[in-house]
Amino acid sequence: NSSYQLSSVPLQILFYINGIYYIFYFLATLAMIVYKSEVFSYPDDFLAPDLALLFIMAILEVLRLYLGSKGNLTEEEAPLGLSLVMTVGSVILSVYFLVWQTYVLKADVVLNALLLFTYGLESVLKVGAIAAFVS
Amino acid sequence: VAKLCVCDLLVAQCDVNCCCDPDCSAADFSLFTTCSVPIVTGDSRLCSQKAAIYSLDVEANPPERIFKLIDQVNPSLFCIHATNYKEALSFGSPQMPTSENFDQLLKEFEGATFSTEPDGWNINTDAQSPSDANETYRYEYGVPIQTVDAFLRLPSPVVSSWCSDGNPAGFLVNQATKCTRSVRVETCGNIQAVSMLFYINSSILVVSKVNITVQSIVVQSLNGMWTSLNSSDVLRLPMILDELCINIVLGVSYHITYTDAGEIIEAAASFVLGAINKEALSIQQSFEISFTQVNTKPVPLSGNPGYVVGLPVRAGFRPQGYPFPVEILFNTNKYGQLTILQSTSNQDCLAAQGARTPVLFGYNMVSGCKLRITAAVKCQPLTQTLLDLLKGQTFPEYVASFGNSRAQDVLDWVPITHFQTSEQRIYNTFQTSCQIPISLEIEVKWTKYGSLVNPQARIVNVTATITTTTLKQLPSGRERTIPVTSSVVFTDISSPAEPGYKAWPTISVKLPFDFFFPFV
Repeated sequence: NSSYQLSSVPLQILFYINGIYYIFYFLATLAMIVYKSEVFSYPDDFLAPDLALLFIMAILEVLRLYLGSKGNLTEEEAPLGLSLVMTVGSVILSVYFLVWQTYVLKADVVLNALLLFTYGLESVLKVGAIAAFVS
Repeated sequence: VAKLCVCDLLVAQCDVNCCCDPDCSAADFSLFTTCSVPIVTGDSRLCSQKAAIYSLDVEANPPERIFKLIDQVNPSLFCIHATNYKEALSFGSPQMPTSENFDQLLKEFEGATFSTEPDGWNINTDAQSPSDANETYRYEYGVPIQTVDAFLRLPSPVVSSWCSDGNPAGFLVNQATKCTRSVRVETCGNIQAVSMLFYINSSILVVSKVNITVQSIVVQSLNGMWTSLNSSDVLRLPMILDELCINIVLGVSYHITYTDAGEIIEAAASFVLGAINKEALSIQQSFEISFTQVNTKPVPLSGNPGYVVGLPVRAGFRPQGYPFPVEILFNTNKYGQLTILQSTSNQDCLAAQGARTPVLFGYNMVSGCKLRITAAVKCQPLTQTLLDLLKGQTFPEYVASFGNSRAQDVLDWVPITHFQTSEQRIYNTFQTSCQIPISLEIEVKWTKYGSLVNPQARIVNVTATITTTTLKQLPSGRERTIPVTSSVVFTDISSPAEPGYKAWPTISVKLPFDFFFPFV
């Protein structure tokens, strides 16, 4: 039966875990930005881009997970491919929060490293799924 | 970090107990007891930073300094791993103000201390810029009265007795000054301060610019006789007539009327004009200012509220026949309210009929006279004469307990209690013998009232004791002099002050009612 099913179960599990983890990541990063603005000197010029990028990342993530999940379940490669492209954007944003943020705390490093690891794993599984669907 | 040293204060010298001082040699280190600065680090919020640790090894002989450079790790999860913001961890150098950015910096940083105009002024001028006269000048006690150009001046002597024009008149400060001004007949027209115009020219700046009106003019002639002028609205300026200079201002008396809100509504000046002749080199001018509240009669106060030592004790009567006393009536002459007999130079009671001296608060007084009686004198008229002498024509019934007690507040007035004692200890069963009063003693008991730092004198009790003695019948032809005395004594019966302290704040710790809910 599983030979007719091309959808990748690990990928779906990963999408699910990614969703939950991202909610936690979003709240934690937002809380830490608030903490940094209270404890350190965080002028508005630097605070605005960080917050804006965090919200953009959230929107991007929702779209990405939706498309990826839909593509995997309907065994279509188009949404999955689009999701893969969007993963690149998410990776860039995650790297921003890891390296180019105004204040990078150790917690930031941990969170973003985990996120990047998840993205990497996802990307690999997505490529495999696309290959399975196409062929 | 290895080069930073906070305790290195002396240049090129070794600081005591400063282990990081580069000027210290090993021999100096061996004399130290501790290290005052044990560790020098960068910002401790960084995840990993360099730290220089200085310590003294006291076990070695001689003690030596140990210097270690290590990487200190901040174990917290929220340590700063990196920053992309250069000024994050150091104090920023402030912008240097130049002519371009000065206005922007001023707007950004002014606040209340450095702004060019206080905020309050901005609001006021915006609302009242149409009419400038809307600002009311409210005065407080002692504030100089402003006029159009400067202050209302009351010339007074400074250091010497020469007049100085710089003394401003304070609101509600009744003043009377006398000073000397040099003036000669030739130059009397040029000296401003002897002409009427100088004193009424400045109008007091209030809501509608109160002008100083001339209330009355009295002309003093060369021999000192005063004539009051009928028309007081004519401005009389000094002018030379024959060999005299007339219309010289010898005295000004200002009367200012004010409302209870502190606004001046009327100002009037009364002048005394005089004349000087060729020999005169200077004149004495006297100035006075008094304040009256509008719609009130000026009541002389003896203190506000407590009695002031030296001011007369206020006393009055309660009108008879009223079921409920409405107010106390008293003599408007404040020195005539409570009086005692005044001693005269010849000490004859009958010769100085009616000479009374006012009772001043705080001044104990004794006075007396001698009365000569002959055998023909009858008892009853003599008693009456002596009572008149001692008590005067109008002896009051009530004394004000405070210096500013109002006539309407009847409860603020203390009744005078009368006692009568006899001089003789042994009582005659014969009451028909004549008892004549020979001494009146007024005892005023007062207390300190109010706060410890500013106690006010308050009269609590007034007793008037008349001492009588028996008049022994004289054989005819003989005469006798009896001394009559009256005295006033002020006794301080104030109880010692009790300091009032606020209660210490207590910590109120009470568990809520259902704290042990499941078990209770």
